[in-house]
Order: sequence, then structure tokens, then C-alpha cells
Amino acid sequence: MARATLGREPPAFFRQGPSALSRLIVFSSLALLAMVADVRWHMVQPLRAALSVVLYPVQWLAMRPLIVVDAVRSSLDGFSRNEADFQKLRQQLSVQAQRANLAEQLLLENRRLRDLIALQQRLESPSHAAQVLYDAADPYSRKVVMDKGEVQGMRLGAPVVDEFGVLGQVTRVFPLVSEVTLITDRGHAIPVQNTRTGARGVAYGDTSSHADALELRFMAANADVAVGDLLTTSGVDGVYPPGLPVARIEKVERRTDAVFARIYCVPLALVSGASQVLVIDPVGADNPARPAPAPEAKVGKSGGRR
Amino acid sequence: MIMRPGQRLLMPVNPSFVWASLIGSLLIHMVANMLLWGRAAWAPDLPSIVLVFWTVHQTRRVGMATAFVAGMLLDVYQGGLLGQHAMTYTVLSYLAIAVHRRLGWFSVTDQALQVFPLFFLAHTLEAVLSLLMGGSLPGWWVVLAPVAEALLWPPVSVLLLAPQRRAPDPDENRPL
Repeated sequence: MARATLGREPPAFFRQGPSALSRLIVFSSLALLAMVADVRWHMVQPLRAALSVVLYPVQWLAMRPLIVVDAVRSSLDGFSRNEADFQKLRQQLSVQAQRANLAEQLLLENRRLRDLIALQQRLESPSHAAQVLYDAADPYSRKVVMDKGEVQGMRLGAPVVDEFGVLGQVTRVFPLVSEVTLITDRGHAIPVQNTRTGARGVAYGDTSSHADALELRFMAANADVAVGDLLTTSGVDGVYPPGLPVARIEKVERRTDAVFARIYCVPLALVSGASQVLVIDPVGADNPARPAPAPEAKVGKSGGRR
Repeated sequence: MIMRPGQRLLMPVNPSFVWASLIGSLLIHMVANMLLWGRAAWAPDLPSIVLVFWTVHQTRRVGMATAFVAGMLLDVYQGGLLGQHAMTYTVLSYLAIAVHRRLGWFSVTDQALQVFPLFFLAHTLEAVLSLLMGGSLPGWWVVLAPVAEALLWPPVSVLLLAPQRRAPDPDENRPL
């Protein structure tokens, strides 16, 4: 007699593997593990990179219609529009040229002064041009994806600027693309300096109360801050080079019952429409090591986490 | 096999069509995301609809493992929390398995009402997970996302079942 006749195993049709509930438990605990590993331990980067390589063909394919639409749109854009754009750019160029001349002169003067007082020369950081591919679809954060990755020499923590100011920071580097956390992301903090008063502070991304804005936190209620002040990077963080424009102060709320004033700023960079950006190598490589180990301090993301 | 009165017998499904439609939905999701609505919170999540559809209709082929992998890929693509979509898709797939025998007894439009709570729960879970892991809420527009997904259910069902509705031996006198 064949052994199969006596077997107690169900026929193939009824064999469905583990029950749905046990599968649910296994997979949801796996997902939970991934989330905790992502948020608390910061060790899923290799997995992310591997998955992004798997996903890249689909992403490449999805990019084709985008490129076609862009080409069609730019060729259909009328002559007048281009003319107006050209005029505007020309004006902008003349203003920039003037400022560039001024900066050249100041640079020269500054160099002489620095030589005089024997200060360490400030390094001019090398930079790479890149293009923003798309907004990351996650509505819970503010991120964009760029077309340069590890292969093209992108480095974690590198500042990203557009023609108006600081846009954000590279927070994830994949082999072929990289992710930029915008300065308006809730978890992003950037050290700034008020150009009028010289006071230093930290601006946090603020997506909840304002649409895509920043908040200058921990400024005393009687601090000298006025609407219209320009905030630039202060350079104390060892990531951003000093003097890059970041935001302009839009509203100052001083309340008697609060120790700190609520200060809202609007970013100068086109956080929702930038396409051509410049990635600057982080300047912190030459700084002396910090006394206390602070593994997340350079990424600048740890500020907003509860 | 007991069937709803008036329900048609279907041809067996082509497995490659199942996988192609899943990848295709991911592709359409990406294109729509880049071209049409960007980061909008109300945008329907097409891969989740297709996933629930195949979990309901092909429970033995597409299940929680597929949902988990698709969720992980979507997480990487969106750049959010890794595992957030994997979790919601797994739960969605479990709920789809729970209702898959009942759903066959309804017409396609009534099925949309039946799957609405599934999508609503999935979005609620996503928001709760994001809050727990220190994120923020995407705003009130997110309430419209499950509604849009339920509204997309009938067209997606008709479209994805169309290949199985063909006649087994087509001839020139009979349509389809």
C-alpha cells in the first residue's frame, strides 16, 4: 500500500500555510522592528539602499513621462514668457554682478585683515550642481530627492543651496539618488545669525502652524528681533559655511506669560519649487573633534524629535 | 461552489498579469505623484487598492508577504519612516483576507462601501504610527484619501477582472 494513502496530511488544495493571524503577527512585528530600527537605532540604511536599487528601474521608468512633459511644456512656453523671464534674469544678474563685485572687494579686504591678525584662512568649500527630481510623497515630512548619489560623490550631511538661500541638507545617500531634508521639515534645525544684530539662534522647521515656514526658537521675549530681519547661517555648527541667507523674519509674537518670543520666518530658498541646486561639501571635516561623543550632532536632525 | 445569482464564471487568472498590475500600480502612483499632486495628503493610494483587490480575488497568490514587501518599497520611495507602509499594508492585507469570502456576494458598487472601512483603518493606523514615532499629522485633507480609494474600487475591479471575463473559445459571432 502506498504511503500516501495512510498519510494524515491534507491534500494540496487545503494546505494554506500558517494561519492569517500568525502571518499578521509575524509581518507586523517585522514592520515594527524596522520602524524602531529606523527611528531609534539608525541602522536600516543598508536595507534602504538595497531596496532603492531594486526600486530604481521602476523609478527610472516613472521619470520618462515627467521628462517628456517638461520638454513639451518648455517648448510650448510662448516667446513672450521667455522674454519676460529673460528680462527678469537679466535684472537679477545685474544686481548679482554688483553684489559679486562688492563681495570680491570685501573678500580682498577681508583677506588682508585676516593676514594681519593671522587668523586661519576660511576654506572655500567645493560644490556640485544637482537637480531636484521630485518631492518625496510622504505628507508627514518635507523632503525632496536629487539626481546625484553616492556614485557622484554626495556625502551625508552636505548643505544644499539654491540661488536664493539654503534649501536643506542631504540626509540619506543612496547609490544613485539622494534625499534632501528641507529646512522647513519638522525635524530639521539650522543655526542662524541675525545679520542686523549679530545675535545667534537656531531656526526649526515648522510645518504645523504655518505652511512651509521656520520658527526661530529660544529667543528671549525681550530679544532684539524685528520683522524683516535677515537670518544667515552662523557657521558655528561645522556643517554650513557661514553667511548663506536662510530666512527672513515674518512675524514676532511676544507674550507676557512666556519666557521666549514666538518668531516666525519665511525661507528665502524656493522650498517648494527649486529644481537646480548646489550641494556644498560639509565644512566640518577640518574642525577638531568634539570632546563629548555626539553621533547625531552633525546631521542636524535630532533637534525636533521627542 | 456557491455563487451569487447572476455572477459570471471567470477564467483562471494569469499570474504574470497579477504581478504586472501590482508593479504597474506602483508606477502610476509614482507618475501621478511627480506630475499631478506632489505631496497632497488626500491623494488615493493606488497600490493599496490593487493589493486589496488581488488579496480578495487571489488570496492564495497575493497575501501578507507581498503586502509587506510592497510596503517596504513604498516606504523607501517616499522617504518616510521605514516600515510604516509595510505595517499598514500588512494589516490591510489581513483585513482583506478576513472579508474576502463576504465581498463576493456584493455587486461592485456595494463592495466599495464594504472596503471603505479597510482603507479608513489603514490611514488611521498610518497617522497613529507616525505620531508614535515622533512625526507630525498631514492635515485634515487626509480624511479624503480613503473616500477616494473607495470610489476608485469599482473601476479598478472592473479593469482588473476584464482579462478573466473573456470567453474561453472566442469566435467572430460572439462579442468579447
